[in-house]
Amino acid sequence: MRFIISSIAVVLAFTSAGCQSSTNQSSVVDQQTSNTSFVMATEPAGAVPVGDARGASNDGEEVIVLGVIGGSTKPFVEGMAAFTIVDPKVPYCADEEGCPTPWDYCCEVNAVKQNIATVKFVDETGKPIAKEARELLPVKELSTVVVKGTAERDEQGNLTIAASHIFVRAGGN
Amino acid sequence: MLLPIEYGVRNLARRPVRTALTLFALATVVLLVLIVVGFIQGLERSLADSGDPKVVLVYSVNSETNIENSSIAARTPALLTASLHGTVKRFGITHVSPELYLGTRVTSEAGDGGLGLVRGVTTTAPLVRRTVRLMDGNWPAAGEVIVGRLVAAKLGYKEPSLAIGKSIEFEGRRWLISGRFVADGAAYESEIWCRLEDFQTATRRQDLSLVAMLLAPNSSPAELELFCKQRVDLELGAMRETDYYASLQQHYRPVRLLAWLVVGLVSAAGVFAGLNMMYGAVAGRVRELATLRTIGYRRRAILFSLIQEGVLLAAASSLLSGAIALALFNGLAVRFTMGAFTLRIDSVTILIGCGVGLLLGVVGAVPPALKALRTEIAVALKAI
Repeated sequence: MRFIISSIAVVLAFTSAGCQSSTNQSSVVDQQTSNTSFVMATEPAGAVPVGDARGASNDGEEVIVLGVIGGSTKPFVEGMAAFTIVDPKVPYCADEEGCPTPWDYCCEVNAVKQNIATVKFVDETGKPIAKEARELLPVKELSTVVVKGTAERDEQGNLTIAASHIFVRAGGN
Repeated sequence: MLLPIEYGVRNLARRPVRTALTLFALATVVLLVLIVVGFIQGLERSLADSGDPKVVLVYSVNSETNIENSSIAARTPALLTASLHGTVKRFGITHVSPELYLGTRVTSEAGDGGLGLVRGVTTTAPLVRRTVRLMDGNWPAAGEVIVGRLVAAKLGYKEPSLAIGKSIEFEGRRWLISGRFVADGAAYESEIWCRLEDFQTATRRQDLSLVAMLLAPNSSPAELELFCKQRVDLELGAMRETDYYASLQQHYRPVRLLAWLVVGLVSAAGVFAGLNMMYGAVAGRVRELATLRTIGYRRRAILFSLIQEGVLLAAASSLLSGAIALALFNGLAVRFTMGAFTLRIDSVTILIGCGVGLLLGVVGAVPPALKALRTEIAVALKAI
C-alpha cells in the first residue's frame, strides 16, 4: 500500500512539474512575440493592397503591402517565418457560413491567384528566419497585416516580400 | 489461512468436460480480441511505416492531398531540381523521383480482375523510396512490371497468378511480371510498379501525379514549402511523406474506432460467457464451499481460491489463443481501399489479448463466488 501511495505521489509530482514547465514555456513565447524587433508599434503610412502591389512593384523595390493572412488551408510555412497574404478586397467565408477554414478562400480561388503574395521574414544576410511565424509574431490566420520589405518578382508575375517589419491591425481587420 | 493452490488446480481436473468447455469459450473470446487488435495494429503500422521523414512529396495543390487525383506538369522535377539545392545528390544523380500513380482495373492471365494501384516510376524511385528492395527477378524493362509482396492480397488473386514470367493486363496493355519487391511493410507493397514512360503512353498522359524528393541531412522541407507558396503559377503543394500518411491515418480513424468498439463488445460478450460458465461451475459446489467454511476457512480465502481457478483457466486460454494467433493469423494479408496490410500479432497485441483474458478470469469468477459465499452455512450444506 505504501508503495502505491508513493508511486501516486511521484506521478503527481511529475505531472505538476510538467504543467509548470508548460506554463513557463508559454510565457517565454509570449515575451519573445511582444519583444520581437520585427513588429512595428504604429502602422506605416502608404500601404498598398496586395493586388495593387502585384501590378505596380518592381524587383528589388522597397514596398509596404497590406493583406490578410490566408490563401490556402495552411497559409503558414512550417518551420519558417513565412506565410501568404491576400488582398483585403477578396472576400472570405463569413462566420455564419460555418466554413471551418475561411482563410483558404475556397469560394474565390480564381480571384486569389491574382491577389496573393508570399511574405518571408529574413535576417541581415537575407536568409529566411527558421522559426514559424506564429511563434515569432503575434499573427494567426485572417490577421490583417501591413508588411514592409523588399519586393522579389519573377517572370510569372509572382510577388514575394522579403520582410523586415510587420504591423498587425487590432481585431484582425 | 488460504487454501493451497493445488486445491484449485485439482478442482479444474475434477470436472474435465466443464473445464474444457470453459477453456474453449475463453480461448475463442481471447482469439477474437487478438485478431481485432492485430487488425488495428497492422493498419496503423502499415501507414506509419510508409513515410520517410526525409522525403517530401510535391503534388498539385488542387488535389487536396489526394495523390491519385493530383496532376502536375512533367517539367516540375527539372524545375524543382534547378531551383532548390536541398536534395540529396550522389554520383551526379539527384534523388528526385517523378511518379504517375493511379488506381486501375488489373486482370490476370486467368481472367481474375481487381482494382490495383499502379505507380509509374524511373530508376531514381528506389533511391528515394529507400525501404523498397527487389527480392526476385529484375527491374522492369519496357512493357514489364514489378509487383509488391501484398499485390495478390490487394487484387484478391492467388499468389501463383503473380509469379515472375506471368503477365497481367491494365490500361489496355499486357505487362510481363519481371520481379517482386518488398518495402518493410510500407504501403508500396500493395502496388505494381512499371516504367514511367510506358505508363504515360498506356494512359495517354504526359503529366505526373507527384514528385518525391529525398532531402539532404542539413536541409528543411520548409524551403520546398516556401518555393511552392512563392510559385503561385505552378499550383504546387509540398508535404512531408510522414505527414501524408498521418493524414491517411486520420482518414481511417472511424475504422480504428469501430475496431476498438468490436474489441469492447467481444470482451463484454466474453465476460458474460465466463460468468455463465462460472455460475454453473460454482452452483454445483455450494455444499463443498459450505464445508470449507465449516472446517474454518474464511470467505475471503475461498473467494481467493475460486479466483485462482478462474485466472488459471483464463491464463491457459490466453496462452492457447496466443499460440493459435501467432501460428495462423500473424502476417495474414488483409485487403482495404488503399492497398493491403498484414495482421500484426505483436507484443502489444499479445499483451492486450492476454490482459483481456486474465480480466475475464477474475471478473467471471467473482460474482458467482460471492453469491455462493453469501448463503448461510446451514442452508448451503443442505443444498442439492
